[in-house]
Amino acid sequence: MSARQLCALFVMTAALGVAKDARAQDQPADPVADLLARFSDQPGQLTQADGAALYRATCQACHMQDGKGASGAGAYPPLAGNPKMNSKHFVAGVILNGYRGMPDFADEMDDAQVAAVTDYVRMELGNAYQDPITPDQVSALRPPDGGDSTGH
Amino acid sequence: MAAAYELRQAGYEVKILEYQNRHGGRCLTIRGGDRFTEMGGGQITCDFESDGYFNPGPWRLPVHHRAVFDYCRRLGVPLQPFIIKNNKAFLHSSKAFGGQPQRIGHVEKDMRGHVAELLAKSLDQRHLDDTVTHEDREKLLDGLKAWGVLNDDLQYRASDDLGGVRGWDVRPPGGLMPEKRASDPVDLSPLLQSGLWDQLFNFNGYTFEPPMFEPVGGMDAFANAFAREVEDVIQLGARVTRIAQDDDGVTVTYEDANRGGSVQEETADWCICTIPLSVLAQLEVQCGERMQKAIAAVPYASAFKVALEFRRRFWEQDDWIMGGISYTDLPLVQIAYPNYCFMTDGPAVVQAAYDTATAGRNFTYSWSSMTPQERIDAAVALGRQIHPQYDAEFMSGTSWVWHRVDWSLGCYGQWNDDLRDQHYRDLCAIDNRLVLAGEHCSEIPAWLEGALLSSLDAIKRLDQRENAA
Repeated sequence: MSARQLCALFVMTAALGVAKDARAQDQPADPVADLLARFSDQPGQLTQADGAALYRATCQACHMQDGKGASGAGAYPPLAGNPKMNSKHFVAGVILNGYRGMPDFADEMDDAQVAAVTDYVRMELGNAYQDPITPDQVSALRPPDGGDSTGH
Repeated sequence: MAAAYELRQAGYEVKILEYQNRHGGRCLTIRGGDRFTEMGGGQITCDFESDGYFNPGPWRLPVHHRAVFDYCRRLGVPLQPFIIKNNKAFLHSSKAFGGQPQRIGHVEKDMRGHVAELLAKSLDQRHLDDTVTHEDREKLLDGLKAWGVLNDDLQYRASDDLGGVRGWDVRPPGGLMPEKRASDPVDLSPLLQSGLWDQLFNFNGYTFEPPMFEPVGGMDAFANAFAREVEDVIQLGARVTRIAQDDDGVTVTYEDANRGGSVQEETADWCICTIPLSVLAQLEVQCGERMQKAIAAVPYASAFKVALEFRRRFWEQDDWIMGGISYTDLPLVQIAYPNYCFMTDGPAVVQAAYDTATAGRNFTYSWSSMTPQERIDAAVALGRQIHPQYDAEFMSGTSWVWHRVDWSLGCYGQWNDDLRDQHYRDLCAIDNRLVLAGEHCSEIPAWLEGALLSSLDAIKRLDQRENAA
C-alpha cells in the first residue's frame, strides 16, 4: 500500500460520510448506502474495527449471516453451537492461519480486529462464551515471520 | 474430460464421475433463463433478454496457453478476439480528476511523454554521461523525442503532432467543419497522484498480452467440445464420498443422485481425481501422508463476478468504447464490455464487477457475503459513478460467487511460494493408484491451461507406469 493510495482512500471515506449525512436528513435509511458501507475503505487491510462489521465483510461469505454454515458437495462448518468454538485460541488461530481451504486473514486484520471477530463469533451467533481474547493474545498466535507479506 | 479424451485415444477404458448434473466444472457460461441455487440458499437468476452471456469462470485466453488453443483447433471451438486493452476504455479514480474517468490511451501517452521529457532533459543536461555514451546519447534523444512526442525544447506539450498520437479535442474535419484541435495532455503530478498509472499496469503482464481470444458465444463452448467427445462415459449426479486404493486398483464410493442417492462403487486400475482440494480435503481419501497434507494445505481464493444487462450499448454509442476493460479504484474493480455484436441496437450484457483476492484486495470477500440481489444493487450503485447511463439503461443482473459454490468452495488454489516449496511435488506425485489433476496441480492457477497441462502430465506419467508394469 503506497502513501498515494492511502491518501486517496481517506478522501473516499469522507465522501461516503457526506452521502450518509445528507441521506439521514431526508430519508430514514438507504439500503444501498448501507450495502456499500460493507466494503473496507482500503483494498489492503480491512478498515472495520467492530467484530460484527468484520464478520459481515468477510466470514459471512462462507459461514453465512446466521453463522450456521452451509453444505452441499463440500461444506462450511457452522460457528453456532460448534464445540471447536470452545477455544478462543483455536478460533483466532484459524483466522490468522486459515484452515484447509479457508484463506487466512493475517494480512487483512490486525490483532485487535482478529480479537474482535473472535469475540463476535464466540459471543454472538448463538454462542455465549464469556472469555474474550485480547489483542496481545492474538499477537502471540501469529506465525513467527509475522504475516507481513501482502497477498498477490 | 481432457484426460479422459486423451486416455481413450490411447486405448484406455475410462469412466468419469461428475457431481453436478452438467459437465464443464468451473468452465461455464450463464445466459438468460438460467437458474442456480448457491450455498446458503441464495437464488441466482439470469433474465437477460439479449444473446449476451456471462462467463463466471474463465473468460479470456492468452495465446501462449498453447494446450487450450491446440484443443480449440482439434475439437473445433471457434474463437473470436477478446479485446484486453482498449485505449478508449477508462481508468477511473473516485478521488482524482473530480471522479471523471480518463481514457487508457491518454494516461498511457501522457505518462510516456512526461517520462520521455524527464529523461531527455536529463540526457541533454549531461546528467547521464556516466552511463550513456556520446553516440548513444544522440540516438536516445532522437528516439525520446519521437516516442514521447516532444517539441524541439524537449517538452511534452499539446501540438498537432501530439494530436496524431494522443487524439483530438476537435477531430480533423470534412469540408467546412470546425478546424481540428489537438487534445491537451494532463500534467505529470496529478497523473502520478491519481493512481491511474498503477491501474495501467493491469495491462502490463505477459498473461494479458494482446491479442487475447474467447470462444464465440461463451466459454462453455470449450467444455462442450470435450463433452461431445467423452459424454458417453460421463456419469452425472455422482457425489464422490470416498477414494480407497490398494496395490492393484482403486475403489471410488459415490452417492448416485439419479438413483435416489444410493451408494455405489466404481473400481478401476487408476484414478485421476480432479476434485478441487477445498472439497477433496473433506472427503475420505486413502493416500500417503504427504499427499494428505498437501490436499489439506491449499486455501481456495475468493473471487466473484457480476454481470448487468442494459437497454442499449451506451458505452459504444456515447463513449466510443468498443470492447475491452475499464478499471477503477471502486470495489467493483473492473467493467468489461462485450467483444461481439458491436454497434448493434438493443440490449447487451456487461461484466460489471470482477475481482480475485490474490490481486491483493479484500473487496471480493464483501461481495461474496452479499445476497444475489445485493450484489446487483451494489454493482449498479458503484458503476453509475463511471457510467451515469446505468440509471436510465439498467435492465437486470446476475452474479457468481465462487465461495458459495458447493462443488468448489472457492475459485482456485491460492498457492504461495512457501506452500509450493512444501507441498506442490507431493500433491502432483502419483500415490500408488491415485493421481490428482486440475489447475491446483499446476503453476498456472485458475487458468484452463493449468488444468490441461496438469492432466496431460498426469496421464503421461500414469501411462509410463502402466507400460512399465
